Order: sequence, then C-alpha cells, then structure tokens
Amino acid sequence: MSEPGRTAIELTVNGETRRGEVEPRMTLADFLREELRLTGTHVGCEDGFCGACTVHLDGSSVRSCLLYAVQAAGREVHTVESLAGPDGELHPLQEAFRRNHGLQCGFCTPGMLMSALELAQSRERDGAAEPPDEAEIRTAIAGNICRCTGYQGIVDAIAEALRD
Amino acid sequence: MARLDAARLLRGQGHYIADIERVGMLHACFVRSPHAHARLGAVDGGAALALEGVVAVLAAADFPHRPLLDSVRIEGLRKTPQPALASERVRFQGEPVAVVLASSRARAEDGAELVRVEYEPLAPVLDAEAAAAGAGPDLFEGGNLLYRGEIVAGDVEGAFAAADHVVSARYHGNRYAAVPMEARGCVAEHDPGSGELTLWCSTQGPHQLRRRRSQTVGLPESHIRVIAPDVGGAFGQKIPAHAEEVAIALAARAVGRPVRWIEDRLENLLAAPHAKEQLIETELALAADGTFLGLRARILGDAGAYSHNSTSALIEPYLSAGLMPGVYAVRDYSCEILAAVTNKSPVAPYRGVGWTAGHTARELLIEKAARHLGVDPAALRRRNMVDAFPYESCTGMLYDSGSYVASLDRALAEIGYEELHRDRGAPAVGEPAVGVGVSPYVEPTGWGSDGALQSRWSFASHDSVRIEIDPSGAVTAAVGTPSQGQGHETMLAQIVADGLGVELDRVRVVSGDTAGTPISTAGTRASRTAVVVGGALALAAEELRAKLERIAAYLLGAEPEDVRIEAGRVAVAGDPDREATLREVAEAAFYDPALRARMPDPSLSVSRFHDPPASYANGCVVAMVEVDVETGAVTLRRLLSVEDCGTVVNPALVDGQVRGALVQGVGGALLEQVRYGEDGALLSGDLRRYKLPKATDVPAIELHHECSPSPFTVNGMKGVGESGAIAAPAAVAAAVADAVAHLGVEIESLPIDTGRIVAAAAGEGS
Amino acid sequence: MKSAPFTYHAPTAVEEAAALLAAHGERARVLAGGQSLVPLMHRRIERPEHLVDLNRIVGLDRLEADAEGLRIGATVRQRQVEGDAAVAARWPLLVEAIAEVAHPAIRNRGTVVGSLCNADPSAELPSAALALGGTIVAAGPDGERQIPLARFFAGPGETALARSELALELRLPAPAPRTGSAWLELARRGGDLPVAGVAAVVGLDSGGRCERVRLACANAAPVPLDCGREAEALLGAAVDEEGAAAVGSAVAAAADPVDDYQGSAAERRRVLAVLVRRALLRAAARAEGRS
Ligand SMILES: Cc1cc2nc3c(=O)[nH]c(=O)nc-3n(C[C@H](O)[C@H](O)[C@H](O)COP(=O)(O)OP(=O)(O)OC[C@H]3O[C@@H](n4cnc5c(N)ncnc54)[C@H](O)[C@@H]3O)c2cc1C
Ligand code: FES
Ligand code: FES
Repeated sequence: MSEPGRTAIELTVNGETRRGEVEPRMTLADFLREELRLTGTHVGCEDGFCGACTVHLDGSSVRSCLLYAVQAAGREVHTVESLAGPDGELHPLQEAFRRNHGLQCGFCTPGMLMSALELAQSRERDGAAEPPDEAEIRTAIAGNICRCTGYQGIVDAIAEALRD
Repeated sequence: MARLDAARLLRGQGHYIADIERVGMLHACFVRSPHAHARLGAVDGGAALALEGVVAVLAAADFPHRPLLDSVRIEGLRKTPQPALASERVRFQGEPVAVVLASSRARAEDGAELVRVEYEPLAPVLDAEAAAAGAGPDLFEGGNLLYRGEIVAGDVEGAFAAADHVVSARYHGNRYAAVPMEARGCVAEHDPGSGELTLWCSTQGPHQLRRRRSQTVGLPESHIRVIAPDVGGAFGQKIPAHAEEVAIALAARAVGRPVRWIEDRLENLLAAPHAKEQLIETELALAADGTFLGLRARILGDAGAYSHNSTSALIEPYLSAGLMPGVYAVRDYSCEILAAVTNKSPVAPYRGVGWTAGHTARELLIEKAARHLGVDPAALRRRNMVDAFPYESCTGMLYDSGSYVASLDRALAEIGYEELHRDRGAPAVGEPAVGVGVSPYVEPTGWGSDGALQSRWSFASHDSVRIEIDPSGAVTAAVGTPSQGQGHETMLAQIVADGLGVELDRVRVVSGDTAGTPISTAGTRASRTAVVVGGALALAAEELRAKLERIAAYLLGAEPEDVRIEAGRVAVAGDPDREATLREVAEAAFYDPALRARMPDPSLSVSRFHDPPASYANGCVVAMVEVDVETGAVTLRRLLSVEDCGTVVNPALVDGQVRGALVQGVGGALLEQVRYGEDGALLSGDLRRYKLPKATDVPAIELHHECSPSPFTVNGMKGVGESGAIAAPAAVAAAVADAVAHLGVEIESLPIDTGRIVAAAAGEGS
Repeated sequence: MKSAPFTYHAPTAVEEAAALLAAHGERARVLAGGQSLVPLMHRRIERPEHLVDLNRIVGLDRLEADAEGLRIGATVRQRQVEGDAAVAARWPLLVEAIAEVAHPAIRNRGTVVGSLCNADPSAELPSAALALGGTIVAAGPDGERQIPLARFFAGPGETALARSELALELRLPAPAPRTGSAWLELARRGGDLPVAGVAAVVGLDSGGRCERVRLACANAAPVPLDCGREAEALLGAAVDEEGAAAVGSAVAAAADPVDDYQGSAAERRRVLAVLVRRALLRAAARAEGRS
C-alpha cells in the first residue's frame, strides 16, 4: 500500500509565513517539531493531559497534540520560541522562571510558559487591577503537569512576573 | 543562585531525545504483547512489509543476542533472563515482541498493526502473595518465588515476650511509577566502517548503559558511545538498560540505518518499569511507657515479570527491610524478605526505591500503636528516636550525624502541632475532619560502595572526574553523571569554582557522553552526585589549584605557599603588585619552554577517583489534611518539611529537589496507582487514569532547614533528592488516618481508599 | 499514538457537511473541538476514513441569548460560553459546570455541543444541559429536526443522532423567575471528569415552596441520569435538609453507576446521595436569593 497522500498548508508561525506538505493525520505538534524544527514545543502524552505541547492558536492556548496541522492552515500560531527577543533576551515570564527556579528538567517548561502567557494576556485584556492570587495561578496552570518542581517555583515565578 | 543552563531550556532550545535527527533515520514502533501471559508462536511481518514506507519488521529470531540479566549478586536470588524481544513466552502486557522500522512513527504504527503474532494465552499470575505461595502457572522454571531470606538482629523473641503491648498492622504499598514527563527513548546509529555504535539515550547512566549494551550486542565497550542529551525527568526509571534500547541498537545494526524510538505515553505506562509495590506485615512490641522493644516484619515485593536487569526483584523488599528501623532506636528486629514474579511490568528503581513502602508501613504502625496506647503519636516517636551520633543501626547502617529530635520538634512547632491536636473529637456536622500526620525520616544518601554495603546491597560504584584548564584559562570539569534537571552542572561548577578560586562563569561542566567523560559505573542515582562526584571534584580542584600555584610561583618569582588565587586573579600574598591572570598562568603551562625545566609535568589536567563513606540525611515531613468524610474528598491543606542534608552547596537547588520529591510522595499517597484487570490487562494506560498531582492538588510547600554536616564526607555534604518521596506518603496517610480515626477507619493501603471512608461515614461497611 | 490515515474535509456550509456525512456514513466522523475525538484517534480506538471538520462552516460559531432562550452553535467553544455575561446572568449553572471541565487550553477548543454529542455519561455538560431542559437542533439529509436532550442520550458515546446527521446547536429555554441552580461534583483532581456530579435547578413560588425542580446526575448511569421523578417529592414544600436527603437516597437507589478507576459503584451511590442533597439545598438557597 502506498503512503497516505499529503495536503499543502500555509500558516503563520511566530509571525512568519510557513508552508508545508503534510499528511492530514499529522498533528500541529509534530508539524512544528518535525517539519519546522521548532522543537521547543514538547510532546508528553498526545492525549491532551500533560500540557507540554501547549501553543497559542489565534491568541488562545491550545493543545497542539489535539489539533491536526491541516486545521491550522490560514491561522496564526505562536510557540515558546516566540517569547525571547531577537538576541535571545528572555521574556519577563522566562526571566521570572529563571530567577525563581521555575524549572528543573525543562520538559514541561514551554507549555507552562504558554499557559502562563495566556493568563497574563487575559488579565491584561480584562484590565485586572490586582495581581492574581496563588489559587488563580494554580488553576491557570493546572492543565500543565510538572513532575519535577512540585510547582512551587513555577507559581512563584508567575506571581512575580504578573506583579511587576 | 540561578541555574546556569536555565535560559537555554526556557527559550525552548533544549535538546531532548526526540529532538535528535540523523540523516536517513528510520522510526521504530514496537509490537507489544496484548496478553499478560502467553506462549509465543510465529511472528509474521509480511503484511506490514507490504506497506510503502515500512522498511523492516524484526523479531527475536532476527538478531541473536544475549539476554539481559540482573546485575545483583545476592545469594539465593534466582535470575530470570529477559530478551530484548520476547521469544517463546511473553510475561506481561506490553512486552516487546517485534519492532517495525518505517519512514515515520505514524507509518511504523500502521505497520505494527499488521504484524500477525500467534499467542497461546496462559493464566496470568497477578497476586504476589499467591505467586509466593506457589499458586498459578510458573513464569520461570523453578517457580515464581525468586527469593526468601531474613534479617535477624538482637533477641526479637525475647523483646516480644517482655512486651506490655504488641501492635500489628498490614500495609499494601501501591504499585506506582516514575512517569517522567519525557518518556523513554533512544536513537542508534551504527557505522559499518569503524564498527562503532553510537547511542543517544534518555538515560541516567551512560556508562552503565554502554556496558550493558556491550554485553548484549556483542561489541567491545570501546566501540560503543552513549550520549545522554537533555533528559526530561527520570527519577530512577532511566537508570536501567531497557530491553527496547537493546532492540533499537540491534535493529540499527541490522538495517544499516540510524533508528529512533520515542516511547509514547501508553507505552510508558504499560511497559516502562513500575515501582514500589510491597505487601508488608509489621508488629511492634512496646513497654508500658511506650518504649519500642522490638520490631518484626515480613515484606513481600511484587517484582513484576522479570527480576529487573539493572537491579533485581529484590530492589524493593530488600532495601525496605534494611531501613525498617528508621530513626528509632530499635535493637531487636527481624524481617522475612520475599520477592515473587507476577505478570506485570517489571519493577525498577523509582525515587526512594525500597524505602517508601517500608517507611510508610512503619509510620502507620506507630500511628496505630499511639492510638492503641492513647498517647500522642509525635511524643511516642520522640521517645524512641536515635539521639546520639554516630549511631550504628541494628541492620548495620552507621548514621553519621543528624538532627532527628530537633527536626521533629522544629516541624511540630512550625505546623502549630499543639494547637491542631488540642481537644479534637469528631468534627461538627458539615465540617471537614482535620488530621495531622508526622513522618520523621532518615535517608541513606551519597551511595558509594560503603553506603551500598551498609544497605547490604550489591552495587557497583566507581566514579572518577577530570578537571582541565585550557590555554585560555577556561575550566572544564568532566563527570560521568548526567543531570536530569537537578541542576547538577550548576552545583558542581560551584564546587569547582570554589575549589580553584575562579569565577563561576569560567567553569563548564560536561557530562553525559561516554566518549568525553570519566567513568561512573552507577550514574546519577541514589542521591549520590553531590557527595560522590562533588566530593571528587573538590579533591581534584584542590590538586589542580596546587599545580596552578606552583606555576604562578614560577611566573611571579614567589614561593608557591605565598600565591593566592581568588576570583580568577593570581597574586602574591602581601605584594599586590605582583599578580597575573589565570590566562597567563595557563599559557605558561602550555607554551613556556622554560617552565618545563622546573616542572616536568605542568599539565593542567587532574583526574580523581572518589568513593566516600556512607552518609545519612534526615528530617521530618508533616501534612495537614481536611477530609470531607461524606464524599471522601481529601484536601491537602499544608505540607511542611524540615530537611537536614548537611552542608548545602546551592540551597535553591536543594529546595527544588525536596519540593519535587514531596509532591511525588503526595501523588503516591492520594492519587497514583498502576491498575490491572483480572486478565492482566493494564487499566491505567493514560494520564486520566494514572493521576499525577496537578498544581491545584498541592499547597504552597513550607520548607525549613537544619544542618548536621557529615563528619565523613568532603565538606560535610550529604545527598538530597529522595526524602520527600520516602516520607511524604506516610505523612499524608497518617494525617488522613488521624482525620478519620473517629470513624474507626484504618489506612492499610495507598492511595487512600476513599470508599472505606465514605462507607464508614454513611454508617455502613464498605 | 499516531492517528490512522484519513481523508480530511473542511466544508464551509452545513449542506456540504451533511452531504459528506450522507456519502460516507459509518466511515465518517464529525470533528468539532477534537478534545475527545482526537485522543481516541491517536489511540486508534476511533479510525474514521473521513474526517468532516465543522470548524470552517460559516455561522456555527454563534452564541445568542434572547427572550426565548439561549442558542449555542456547534463550534462555540466552552471557554466562550464560560466568559459570556448573558450566560452568567441567566444560565449560571452552565458556567459553573464548564468551569469544572478540564483546563483553559482544552476549553479553548472543546465545544459545548461536541461534549453533548460525545455523550460521556460522566461529563459535566450533558447532565447540566439536561437539567436546563436543552434541545439539540440537528441537520441531516432530510433537513433539520429538534431532539430534546431527554431523548438524546442513548448510552456511553451513543446519541439519537444518525451517522448522517450533525448537531447544529443547543437550545436552552429562558429560566423562570425565582429559579436557583447548582452544579456540584466530586473529582479526584480539579479538571478531572467527575466521580459523580449533580445538576440541580429549583424554582420556588412566592411562598418559598418548591414549584419546579430538575435534577440530573453525571456518572450515575450509562447516560446522564434524569432524576426528575425522584426530585418531584420536593414539590409543594420548602426544600429542607430532610427532603433533600430523601431525594438523595432515592437517586442513589435509582442510579446504576459503574465500577471504575475512580471508584466503586457502591462508593458512587453514597457520594451521589450526598451531592444531590447538597446541590438541591444550594439551588434552593440561590432561588431565594440567599448565598
Ligand atoms: C485533557 C482533557 C480533559 C478533559 N476533561 C474533561 C472534563 O473534565 N469534563 C468533560 O466534560 N470533558 C472533558 N474533556 C472533554 C472535552 O470537554 C471535550 O471538549 C468534549 O467532550 C468534546 O467536545 P469537542 O468539541 O472537543 O468534540 P470532539 O472531540 O470534536 O467530538 C466528540 C464526539 O462528538 C462528535 N461530534 C462533535 N460535534 C458534533 C456535532 N456538531 N454533530 C455531530 N457530532 C459531533 C464527534 O464526531 C465525536 O464523536 C477533556 C478533554 C481533555 C483532552
Ligand atoms: S502532548 Fe499534548 S497535552 Fe500532552
Ligand atoms: S521541570 Fe521537569 S517536568 Fe517540569
């Protein structure tokens, strides 16, 4: 039996137009990693449970393992690689993670950052005046599993970044 | 002090195993047994090979190799060889039977579905107790009980005969698993010209893996290079040499192309090693005043389908038995140790290996004894604690130093134990039941050969390190123990920088590649890196510093003892004008011919072997829970730990280790369990059913520190990293037991059986 | 865990989607948020040859509240409903239930209608929508039809939809005055599917007596369990502890829960009795404007 057919797609990733030819069954996560070599997006379960693959699609966080790349055609995707500045200077969230030991092995980290980013952006949109309390932060990242840190450093990092 | 490699990982620039690509690389998918126990017939890959993109289907017969055998030398332990791919018999659901190589992982999965395998199902053996008793079909010739032995210390019979109270308990420690967020995986590439095999592998012990590979694949170790890239969590699961990794190495050689295998989550939960399951019976003899007179135990380890190649079927019950007395001054102790095979995924190390279940069983026994005697459980513990050091335990462990009582008292004070424990009867209607659990621990750390020996374990430990300075003055420290996120590079670099007197950013620590690093037979495990490797680096740095001082003395025209090296500047004491840079000193070592006449060996490279004596960390974990007894919902309100791991090099890294381990312990107490159906099929094959703690399941963790430097190790360091995994389950379990005591519910297994609480609250039996 | 190969269709009109479903029948699946379907496809438990993606169909993303009630289109995300002010004011039960569904990134994709079509008896939304008296509007080869949720769920993963039909929207009637509601569940971790869950809607007359009541339970039976009959006992009197507890016991007796990784059937029955009692009391209190 011959290999399954491919579909041409075009989408915007981290502000750049990217094209590819993909099997419809290829997930966005695999497309980013294997075709675009953006390996910062990690795959930890392919079931939607771990959150390691979290990216932003048209400005909201999604599981890139539960989205086929063909579905992202014409859409705008942001990955962890979009956070740091052109010379590698860390995003305030990344800087806070670094200062607060918000990571150990780093595998969950990209997904954590993208979930934290959504929290930061949605609070900005809503014009939230008070910084989020610990419970709100924990709820925002509860879909991202970290096996290493016990979450404390991550929660501290996000609290610090959203305070400043 | 922040980690040196953090920025790279935060930007998404890490290189994990799944990020590695080689030219012409094929993707592997294993065909795994759907049966827990079956005779294996023919494997037919014909239909799979007919798919475009499928390159090969390989079964055991396609690459002859030596099976994996456990490396432990303990008398009376029967060995159970495990082939890389099953032949003749499959012994657990998920055991690899064949491997399909294809153009993509998706295509390999298409192929794997089409491989036809003949199975003749056999009855599965799932109950370790029945297996030990000889019931059910044998997994191996000679029966399912692989080991029976005992520890006897002092006069146990006498102690029990003299007792005023005897309290006994049973505990079924749950089978759970490390579940690193990055599952296992490897890439193998064979160079037919040189005959060299390169293996990138998500592993904790590259050198051990190289040796195992050499034994099974039949290549000399010199022809095998193992590289551990960034590892996305390991916790013990990546210590063993895995059957799949052997198969991938063989497959790459067989097809002459690089092959990558990335384990998916289903495979990881199904076929990666499980951990910790033990069935424990305990009995405590007490005097009327609460003094512990004697302790008896029987520990049965459920080893799963093979005596694991890296460790053996004994890894759980044997280590459990050795530490059973814990922080208590028990002299009269006996323990029967058994290990049986069952049709489940084999058991291998996971953080706190062996110790978690034994510790929990003992602490729950003490809780029960306190309730029986009507005394405060914390006071009962304090009364029986070891309080003078060094102390040789009745099982032969030399507790070097510690703050057992001080840590307990500190923990009680910080949690406000007295307040919490005062006048607490049954909760008011509609109010949650509150409970507090105290779990003081001692943790063997820094395993070298002495530490292993004190745990009566056969464990090959041989570690050397190398520090080199290049002509530019840059320092490279090469170690055989890679990091899986503990931040070892940073901590080790600090030790080197301190030892040499140079700036931290001048030091680079390399690890993980057998081609460029000195051997560490054991790798990163057993809370040993700081003590063993850090100790070796401190010694090597001292030696190298002396060399630098001699060269500098020559350059500056001074005596070596007058040379001072500080923050990378070299100067003569009392003469600030005479100074040099480290670069000038290093350049002289390499390029100054005149130096050679005075110093025949000016090389700036020092290797050092180190095998420190055993050391023991200690501390106390306290948990406070609220239980909604009507629904069984348990909320962990507070989690507090007092840690004493001697001298600390990098407090932030230590705290990270402690917190991570604590939360893994909480998972084991409240959520995590590998489940099998009666047919031996796994029921916990995704992260919905295998529940890891989320951010909302744990409170802010409260950490406090005591410091009892080890009198035996370099700088007084002790290891850290497992205490929470050992002690937190007991703290949480004891807290729940405390909360539901008014209902007459005992905790006899973990994770907490909420069904029993709910039934008792409804006034019914479960 | 990679999906088996399939042909991907992204129709832009309902008729086009219906025609694709009619043409491919059993071999096709509808893709909405994909948060339940795609994991099953990765494990090859579901292996459609044709995947009909609704996400590019114009007009299915409408969320409209008016005097008649609420209409939630097939591609309206759970997150959107959760954040809608009109929904929060008039159908707070929906918001309360959605907040317990998974996590933000899942709710950003997952749809309300998809959750109903997925017909997981343990899920929040089927029971919540059932208690709110919802109706599904479906489109098929023979045009549109309306299916009340009371007749929609047929078993785990089974609905009254034909393979050739797709659900266009969920309609909820406007709430009556002096109505209070509550969603209560026991989950082992936040965001998990509940061990058991309860949706209660209580309407009071001007004297504080129970005039209307709807009750539906998650994970109590192979379908979201409509406990209207058990709850009827409350009619005509104030909802008190004793009355609510009696309904709880009746529900526990009527339930047919599973034994699974989250708990035994016996444990679920006991938990259901407690949750029903608490949910009814809370809904009644809210109807009175307390709490
Ligand atoms: C990690 C994780 C955690 C979750 N936790 C929860 C939870 O706690 N509670 C909970 O309720 N859910 C949970 N879910 C499921 C989630 O809510 C899903 O979004 C929802 O069940 C299905 O909605 P969907 O839009 O994603 O549907 P899809 O996955 O696209 O579809 C589901 C099924 O419905 C069919 N379908 C969908 N839309 C239509 C339509 N318009 N017409 C006909 N058929 C249709 C599909 O063919 C498919 O069979 C979780 C999911 C994940 C990944
Ligand atoms: S890989 Fe997508 S959620 Fe785990
Ligand atoms: S840092 Fe390792 S999983 Fe979070």
